Amino acid sequence: MSGELWVAVLVTALGTLAMRMLPLLWMRKRLRQQANSDVDALPQWLGILGPLMIAAVLGVSLIPQQPDTTSWSATLLGCIVTFGVWYRSRSLGWPVAAGVATFGMVIVVGSML
Amino acid sequence: MSSQALLQSSRPWLTGMRDAIPLLGAYIPIAISFGLISVQAGFNAWETVVISTLIYAGASQFLFVGMAAGGAPLWLTVAMTLLINIRHVVYAPNIAPWLTRNRWWPWLMHGLTDQIFALAHSRLPHMPEQQRIGWYTGAAGLAWGSWVAGSALGAIAGDWMIKSWPLLSEVMPFALPSLFLVLLIPRCTSIRWVLALSVATFAALALAVFSYSNVAIPLAAALGAAAFYAIQPRGGSTT
Repeated sequence: MSGELWVAVLVTALGTLAMRMLPLLWMRKRLRQQANSDVDALPQWLGILGPLMIAAVLGVSLIPQQPDTTSWSATLLGCIVTFGVWYRSRSLGWPVAAGVATFGMVIVVGSML
Repeated sequence: MSSQALLQSSRPWLTGMRDAIPLLGAYIPIAISFGLISVQAGFNAWETVVISTLIYAGASQFLFVGMAAGGAPLWLTVAMTLLINIRHVVYAPNIAPWLTRNRWWPWLMHGLTDQIFALAHSRLPHMPEQQRIGWYTGAAGLAWGSWVAGSALGAIAGDWMIKSWPLLSEVMPFALPSLFLVLLIPRCTSIRWVLALSVATFAALALAVFSYSNVAIPLAAALGAAAFYAIQPRGGSTT
């Protein structure tokens, strides 16, 4: 890797870190300033955007690696089973494990048909 | 792990690692793919590990090595890579109210990926203050370590691994949507939230299906926010 490319890697790394770190410093300052105020430190739109970003990441991650009928069926069934197991257990690990297992089983069965 | 168990945890970093285990199902296969593509683009294993360690931002790393290998101007490569990561600016302020005054928190933001944000946003509010930094360090550290290790593995033996276990690399990434689903369900506290979250999810899905993955997340979140504000709350509550 050339010297210029190393510089590009470092600039990209520092830029990415800044995008994750600087908003925290800004928010901490805002929280300190508004500690004795009735106004919420977290702007309402920002608080709403957080869960919506997670929902958007969910949407992107739903697309299977091989987007065919079997994979989409596996995705749908995997989501249903994940929800069902979460509803019963209210835990984090079991619903994910059950969802992945269901997804895998549908892929295997689909490949045998 | 339930909220009650979190409150009783004596080793918060271990709890954090345990909570982050579902992420590995997606991180490791994707990191292996990145390692393989990076080597094919002309970077060696050591350079691949450095990129994964320092930049640590999934999709943008693929873009970085692809553009660099394709001979794109370096300023454009850096600009495009940072543009993809711009969504990260809203993550830290969203979890800031639950972070303690520890001076290490700003540096720990290096590990604040989409997935760790989703996990932290759901778990930190239910945790005693003194356990939060330990929990976050465990969760983010495991995710970071798995990404770097997966990249190294992909750079060294990725080609052989993907040929040997094609099914595994197809199935394990489903852990990611499954985890996000579990994190989002408790947020569906009203019709307004259900509709806003559904709009964001399906808009992102549609955009990604039509190969607009890079703009899918911020654009879909903005559409979800528009839906949220378009629906009048009952009883005057804003959220």
